[in-house]
Amino acid sequence: MMMFTKPTMVVCLKGAFTGQQNRSMATLKQIQMRLKSVTNIQKITQSMKMVSAAKYARAERELRQARPYGEGVKAFFEKSGATETLEGAVENKLIVAITSDRGLCGAVHTNVAKTIRNELSLEAPDAGTKVFCVGDKSRALLQRLYSDNIAVVANEVGRKPPTFLDASKVANQLVQLDYNSGKIIYNRFKSVVSYQTEEVPLLSVKTMLAAPKLQTYDSIDESVMESYQEFTVAALLYYTMKQSACSEQSSRMTAMDNASKNAGEMIGKLTLTFNRTRQAVITRELIEIISGAAALE
Amino acid sequence: MSYWRAAGLNYVNYSNIAAKIVRRVLKPELQSNASKRDETHVKFTPWIKGKPAKPGQQ
Repeated sequence: MMMFTKPTMVVCLKGAFTGQQNRSMATLKQIQMRLKSVTNIQKITQSMKMVSAAKYARAERELRQARPYGEGVKAFFEKSGATETLEGAVENKLIVAITSDRGLCGAVHTNVAKTIRNELSLEAPDAGTKVFCVGDKSRALLQRLYSDNIAVVANEVGRKPPTFLDASKVANQLVQLDYNSGKIIYNRFKSVVSYQTEEVPLLSVKTMLAAPKLQTYDSIDESVMESYQEFTVAALLYYTMKQSACSEQSSRMTAMDNASKNAGEMIGKLTLTFNRTRQAVITRELIEIISGAAALE
Repeated sequence: MSYWRAAGLNYVNYSNIAAKIVRRVLKPELQSNASKRDETHVKFTPWIKGKPAKPGQQ
């Protein structure tokens, strides 16, 4: 309703008063409306902050449980010395982008997309690197320039905390894409206020069996390694999804906190202008009345 | 070769099925909590030549 009354107001005021008067009157109305909308936005950002704070607490708790999955695999990679042997340009590379569907959380998704963009921009245009986008945000950010590289998009991520079943579904999709060298790009949660974009490699059975220090581990044969490799993919995905969910919530919390603060600042400024303008209007009207009365005498 | 691999499963599928069965035989008070870990919502869309192909495919 406000929307409809505003233009007509301005029009009839233009007819009735002189230029100066008309403008200040209209601004008063405009400031009021602006104030109202900023207050509403602040309410929204505040409640979003509360929601993400609760979600963050849960994500952090769940991350603590999920950490052994990823750390264990990473420790295995490290102790056995299993690394990708990069002989020249590797073909059939695969990059998994771990993001979510939801925005309004600072730069978490952008950082992941930026890392991938940098990587892809260094490659030959016909290298055929595949990108697996987990979450709509990475798709949206990579679609414009590198839509040819996107192999699979997984969405409906981020509404609920990721489960191991989610991760294994993604892992099963990854198995279907054949790749020689893979890695996951994700945001590692460091503390409530910081996260870091990192990558973990996805190694193949061959690389794992060719690891130089494999003797550290006992009773490993090919079938055990095959099972373990399948598990590492799912476990790493689960770990990275949890990490990224946690960083996302913490980042959203900070972003919404900042937004509420900024809105508060804006409200303060607008209230001040509003009161000043109102005062000016009252003063002017008083002057008009008094001088009008004086002219009549 | 293990029997489940012979049946065409990989380790992840096999362990997920095992986990599902374990969740099913839990005591009722633990089951409600565990059943939350038993759901997925992720949907996949394969992309071909920069365009999504057949949306909503598993």
